[in-house]
Amino acid sequence: MMAAARPRHEQLALSPEQLGQALRGMMLAREVDDRLWLLARQGKVHFVITSAGHEATQFGCAWAINVGRDYVVPYYRDMALAMAMGQTALDMMLHAMGKADDPASGGRQMFGHFSSRRLRLVSGSSSVGSHPIHAVGLALAFTIRGETDVAAITFFGEGATAEGAWHEAMNFAGIHQLPVVFVCENNQYAISVHQSNEIPVKDVAAKAEGYGMPGVIVDGNDIFAVYEAARDAMNRARSGGGPTLLECKTYRLRPHSNADDDLKYRSAEEVESWRQHDPIKRLAEYLVTNSLFSEAEMAGYQAAAREEVDRAMRDAERAPGPPANSLYDHLYG
Amino acid sequence: MPQMTFIEAVRSAIYDAMAEDDSVIVLGEDVALKGGVFLATSGLLEQYGPTRVIDTPIAEASIVGLAIGASLHGLRPVAEIQFADYIHPAIDQILNEAALFRYRSNGDWSCPIVVRAPFGAGIHGALYHSQSSEALFTSTPGLKVVIPATPYDAKGLLVAAIRDPDPVIFFEHKQLYRSQKGEVPEGVYTVPIGRAAVTREGSGLSLFTYGLMVHHSLSAASTVAAEGIQVEVIDLRTLYPLDSNAILDSVKKTGKALIVHEDNLTGGIGGEISAIIGEQAFEYLDGPIRRLASPDVPPVAFNDDLEARYMLNPDKIAAAIRELAAY
Repeated sequence: MMAAARPRHEQLALSPEQLGQALRGMMLAREVDDRLWLLARQGKVHFVITSAGHEATQFGCAWAINVGRDYVVPYYRDMALAMAMGQTALDMMLHAMGKADDPASGGRQMFGHFSSRRLRLVSGSSSVGSHPIHAVGLALAFTIRGETDVAAITFFGEGATAEGAWHEAMNFAGIHQLPVVFVCENNQYAISVHQSNEIPVKDVAAKAEGYGMPGVIVDGNDIFAVYEAARDAMNRARSGGGPTLLECKTYRLRPHSNADDDLKYRSAEEVESWRQHDPIKRLAEYLVTNSLFSEAEMAGYQAAAREEVDRAMRDAERAPGPPANSLYDHLYG
Repeated sequence: MPQMTFIEAVRSAIYDAMAEDDSVIVLGEDVALKGGVFLATSGLLEQYGPTRVIDTPIAEASIVGLAIGASLHGLRPVAEIQFADYIHPAIDQILNEAALFRYRSNGDWSCPIVVRAPFGAGIHGALYHSQSSEALFTSTPGLKVVIPATPYDAKGLLVAAIRDPDPVIFFEHKQLYRSQKGEVPEGVYTVPIGRAAVTREGSGLSLFTYGLMVHHSLSAASTVAAEGIQVEVIDLRTLYPLDSNAILDSVKKTGKALIVHEDNLTGGIGGEISAIIGEQAFEYLDGPIRRLASPDVPPVAFNDDLEARYMLNPDKIAAAIRELAAY
């Protein structure tokens, strides 16, 4: 009889503790996301933009990030990423409610613009595709300063790959083989426009060749596949091996934002079929199958996540907004 | 004190700033091996090497975007856009990104970059090597827009821009590059951003201008002085934020305001200056606020006669001064 293959987490040197932390984090991120939709319907937050469905991509990449050393240049879909890097449910609620202690912007940016200089999580605009060039500029700065063992990683949807600034970022990174990783969270839709009307090739990763870098495709709902590819790409970048375009195939399980009706451009059946591949469910099943956690422990996580979000919501609702005269603060240094 | 042309002063500012602070880098198309199409960055590659003097692709959004990214890790990038006419692909990076980094992060991040761009007409550059692009940037809080007129100010303001903690758009008039020569100190010094300069004192009329038009206006002021009209010429030097105090101080003294700029009349900075004066010094005026600007046609047709018709010159300015002085 052949020996059974070692479990994937062992192959990847991930400990059961790391798995449990990731699962709890993903469940908490989903709970925050769900609650924000509820609060938006109640008129208690003006805007929510979802990361539901993208959690494995974001948590898998986060495992490959040296938080506080590597720079992370995110986009509006990356709430779970920000939480995987250490931001809390309360941080997200403060951000969504525009409170003074919103760590991203002190109540200046609408939800979805995650930022923390301490975490080297870089502030972004709402312009699609304008930010990957900042990751490339950071990577250029590392090389100018002779800093090694550090990389920049940037995230965007497949829609962003139609933008000119995205092309310019890829182009420059390829020319100079800079320490930067481009992560495309391909969920097939730029709001309503399907991938077939966004890009002329089936895989975003195919574009990498023209920029002189490898293009890697992974199942973005498989946290292990994402981690393995992201780890390899980050290590390659950190050791002078140049940039990578990593395409994570995934799906957003909610409308683009609370201003969107997704049934105008995709069917309920399609959404439901992707629910079967929910990345949180997949990780949970893996843990149970491998006898790392019990169903009862899972239920405990869920309850704990709900309690934490209840508390975060209450605390954020009570938290003060920025004073009116702060409108003029931080215009110039 | 050495004499330098305007372009030598620009080069000297970058050279000295790079010597003073090794976080200063230069990037842009043709800036390294060629030393810039106007030679503003000539010699920098030889002195500071290819890690700090970087030839980029001809892709303006990335030139500015790279500068932004590098600044986030503590560098002080000086980006060159080869002609102001080509700054448009970088507008999203300048207006939505650089200008807002500090504000949108509640002071957590900042973006200390300089974007240099040669601008202006009168060099037979036709429609796409002649534009005055400053009005695109003079309504964006978070940015500073600087336009020097003399070699001394070019160096001092550029050093100040490089040291500035926020993004600065730095326009250099191409016709000044080799036509203007003056005393410029060796080593770094600064001229403060945000302060206008009284370039010629006078009591009869205030003339507000910047860039090449400072020199044409001074020439016109000399001409009309012989006719008994005393013009005060104010070189604005910074277009955003404007030095309102200097504008108001002068017009309160003279009672008359003429604004001269090469940019098109409509939407140019003259409208804003008129509004400041109209709102805050109305009772001091004894004549209408006048603007003399390039006509509202694209800058500028290639044909010599059409170019001459478009361009302001000392004669046109002198005529506008006489008309307002006689009011």
